[in-house]
Amino acid sequence: MLVAAGVLALGFAFAVGTWLLPDAPSYARVGTRLFPGLISSGLVIVGALLLREALTSGFSAFPDEHRDRFDLRAFAWISSGVVLHLLLIAGLGFILCSSFLFVAVARGFGSTKPMRDIGLGLAISIVVYVLFTQALTLSLPWGAWLPELS
Amino acid sequence: MTETFALLVQGFGVALTLQNLLLCLIGCTLGTAIGVLPGVGPALTIALLLPATAKLDPTGALIMFAGIYYGGMFGGSTTAILLNTPGESASIVTAMEGNQMAKRGRAGAALSTAAIGSFVAGTIATLLLTLVAPIVAEWALLFGPAEYFALMVLAFTTVSTVLGASPLRGFVSLFLGLAVGLIGIDAITAQPRFALGVPDLLDGIDIVIVAVGLFAVGETLYLAAYFGKTTETIEKLSGSIWMNKEDWARSWKAWLRGTAFGFPFGSIPAGGAEIPTFLSYATEKKLSKHPEEFGKGAIEGVAGPEAANNASSTGSLVPLLTLGLPTSATAAIILAAFQQYGLQPGPTLFSNTPGLVWGLIASLYIGNVMLLILNLPLVGLWVRLLTIPRPLLYGGILVFATLGAYGLRQSWFDLLLLYIIGLVGFVMRRFDFPVAPVIVGLILGPLAEQQFRRTLSISQGDMSVFLTHPISAVLLGVATLVILVPWALRRLRAKRLAAVLRTG
Repeated sequence: MLVAAGVLALGFAFAVGTWLLPDAPSYARVGTRLFPGLISSGLVIVGALLLREALTSGFSAFPDEHRDRFDLRAFAWISSGVVLHLLLIAGLGFILCSSFLFVAVARGFGSTKPMRDIGLGLAISIVVYVLFTQALTLSLPWGAWLPELS
Repeated sequence: MTETFALLVQGFGVALTLQNLLLCLIGCTLGTAIGVLPGVGPALTIALLLPATAKLDPTGALIMFAGIYYGGMFGGSTTAILLNTPGESASIVTAMEGNQMAKRGRAGAALSTAAIGSFVAGTIATLLLTLVAPIVAEWALLFGPAEYFALMVLAFTTVSTVLGASPLRGFVSLFLGLAVGLIGIDAITAQPRFALGVPDLLDGIDIVIVAVGLFAVGETLYLAAYFGKTTETIEKLSGSIWMNKEDWARSWKAWLRGTAFGFPFGSIPAGGAEIPTFLSYATEKKLSKHPEEFGKGAIEGVAGPEAANNASSTGSLVPLLTLGLPTSATAAIILAAFQQYGLQPGPTLFSNTPGLVWGLIASLYIGNVMLLILNLPLVGLWVRLLTIPRPLLYGGILVFATLGAYGLRQSWFDLLLLYIIGLVGFVMRRFDFPVAPVIVGLILGPLAEQQFRRTLSISQGDMSVFLTHPISAVLLGVATLVILVPWALRRLRAKRLAAVLRTG
């Protein structure tokens, strides 16, 4: 239900977006709007069909192996790992953020050895950091709070 | 014919340079490893490597990507047999039959027939690719924008209807991908579209972010939330890894038949390797002298489908190289790799950069041999990868996923997009939406729009050209049938069922 409504809403959003696009009249009479228009109407159509399926025959016509087994704790651990990573990477630097992400995901998968996870997370992050910044010369944030290495 | 041969010899000259041999070996090794590891596939791996390889020589990079693509197929069968978790829908059958063999202490023979079968199928299919591709490329020179657009529409419909639980869900995924592909500056008029005033969106959403978000973040969230506590049993690698005489006798025909199913299905835009593996399995069951063994570990049931799987993945390189038409998620990402180097696969690729095309094809022959060596004697090494605890495995996957997304342009905004797309991927996995159509739609959508607008500017806005050009009309007709026929069949079946219920 919610998914179907979401698709439908997205379709309408894109349709409105298309409507708002200024259509530069080109000599071929096919501007920037036609193709987005086609796609947004496509989204609206499949969204509507999905909604009908959800309302009539039930959304999952397939054997549902995972009803009521949603593990919120695991979901939250992993999400927090990713979200903190994106919020803090510029400030705390790549190594700490990635290590925390590693530990959080491991926790999410039910790891009971936090010390091992922290050690491994740090080791992987440091190796990756050195490899990327030295061998591939890509820049990764070192972290504003850490003393400069030079 | 002789011309093809000369070009192929030239290609071997390219592929046999030290650098390219090394890249091929790296690709094959990496491919096997990620094929063995559950949770990582070739599409994700190549997407992650795209930013890091941007400065590499295109031929070498593509040779490496092809190695990953192939190696993933080889490695996937190992996991399917020993763990009974098919890494992708195409190895469902292998998982079913091969795992039964492993349970009966025949894991060695099962791995063997899968690896040798993949090698045989891969080599024959590469040979067919060598012969067919130049012909298709020449033929494709006749295609105008209308024909290309029709071809892309056909690819959209087949990818959406064949993969996944229901055609409707496939189309939802496809349109999501197409919609995401619209975001950014319009290639023809340089006008920003759907960027919502966010400057980071002007360049569009990078394929790397979408692929990594769906395949790594979404998949990890899904597995942790629903299957975090399930433990899997790994079958022991027991029995000789070499096949006995009877195994050979029962396998070789199955390999050849599997190849015969796989290659054509791969090379027409018919969406993936799933159908030929099932066809091969059914055929072997019908032809076998031991039909009672099927479901309990019949060697033909591993040999045939594995060959079909491999032949079809090689076959899918035909439309990719000659028409620029990807038929799977991995092929779509390889197309993105071509675009990264400013190359557009298609007939002109064969005439403009023969060194690259033929070097790539030659490397497939070499890669197949490398994979056979990597997989048979060294299988024990790969099996050890399966013992990595899952918390650590997925922790590592996400570290690399965020690294790949962040490495694109050092922007936290890309990481936010990654998480949002990961959430979308989670919902899609939860409700059985296939992911591949999103990737194909995203890559092919902008190209389709270009062809569409090019056609209409030639015809001065007259839409009927799509139906008056014969090739384009036929292709669009087939696309319509692809949508309507399964739907009509279901209708008919439902009606019949209702009739039976009424009388009964």
